[in-house]
Amino acid sequence: MPIKVLAFAGSPRRHGNSETLLDWVLASMSEGQDVTIEKIALTEADINPCRGCNACEKLNKCIQRDGMDIWHDKIIEADCIILSSPIYCMGIASQPKALIDRAQVFRSRKYVLKLPIVPLERKGKRLGVFLATAGQNWSYVFDAAVPSVKCFFHVIDIKDADIFYLMINGVDEKGAIEYHPSAKTDADKLGKAVIAKLKTRLAM
Amino acid sequence: MEIKVIGISGSPHRHGNTETLLDSFLKGTHASGATIEKVVLKTLQYSPCRGCNACHKTGECIVNDDAIILYEKILTSDCLAIASPIYTMGITAELKGFIDRQQYLWARKFILKTLYFSDDCIKRHKGIFISTAGLGWENVFDGAFPVITALFNTTGFEYYDNMIANDMDQYDGIKNHPTALKDAFDKGMKIVGILEKLKTG
Repeated sequence: MPIKVLAFAGSPRRHGNSETLLDWVLASMSEGQDVTIEKIALTEADINPCRGCNACEKLNKCIQRDGMDIWHDKIIEADCIILSSPIYCMGIASQPKALIDRAQVFRSRKYVLKLPIVPLERKGKRLGVFLATAGQNWSYVFDAAVPSVKCFFHVIDIKDADIFYLMINGVDEKGAIEYHPSAKTDADKLGKAVIAKLKTRLAM
Repeated sequence: MEIKVIGISGSPHRHGNTETLLDSFLKGTHASGATIEKVVLKTLQYSPCRGCNACHKTGECIVNDDAIILYEKILTSDCLAIASPIYTMGITAELKGFIDRQQYLWARKFILKTLYFSDDCIKRHKGIFISTAGLGWENVFDGAFPVITALFNTTGFEYYDNMIANDMDQYDGIKNHPTALKDAFDKGMKIVGILEKLKTG
């Protein structure tokens, strides 16, 4: 059973700390058999912010035509969706926030129109991963990001218990994460754990 | 004594609940004699922060667009009213994109030490967060507060008050809310007097 992983690199800074963390997780995942990985940097994903028009509550689709047309379908097809973001000004960066807000179409589908997000045979099998890095080393630096991330996963039918987190604080300058004592090991473990769990679930 | 109030609307939805609440606050300050300016982020041209950290060395942003002009206006205002609806438990991507651009000021404050606000100066500059949310959950604004705090801290404003109203979906809009619009107007009227006193005292 092939496993499809869709990864959004949310930082506007390419190959910085949060993307490196993502790359480590993806490298670990790619060691599994039959794993296909697609990674996209949100700076190149052509995702406009949500306009708040609420048309999706009636139309079951977004009135905007942009990159989200593609990502919408890929989000449904993926078995595992990963989002990485740096923390800017105590929150996720604006690029991943735009992606999350555009998931409003899934929220309308699920909670307003009461329609399924994935086919019944795949329901409850998908997993989500949130990866974040922050320059500050305050323990609460990720607190404002997490509720939005949870919403994102909930509306695409991934429940709290199926969201994995790896959030590394105290890494600011480009490359700082390379010197973090546990980030790489934790990323490696996380990637393997997610693939193992998906293998079990998809075999059921 | 001129009191300058700047109101910034971060909603992509024109004249919706949040912008109406901001308008009410601004009308209150205007009724008390303040000079007001309202800026709608959606009508500006600016890009989000690129995270390049060039400002850490120079204190200047390499992107020169409407965001910088707006920050310069903020720095000359006595009261900053920042407004955003709650989308997926946080502020909008438009406002987050603007707030992230304050990094050059943060760099001036904490890295280059060329920008400094005394406690007294901060007290004379009041920051107000204005927001509405469709959901009735009590925690629906929690993801926004830390980001707004970061904005006020970096730009030298005291985080003075929130004008927030949740459960908009149930009320079917802010106009049907029993108290929010009048409260915002009254608070707007009151804050001008407070700022005048602080400026002359």
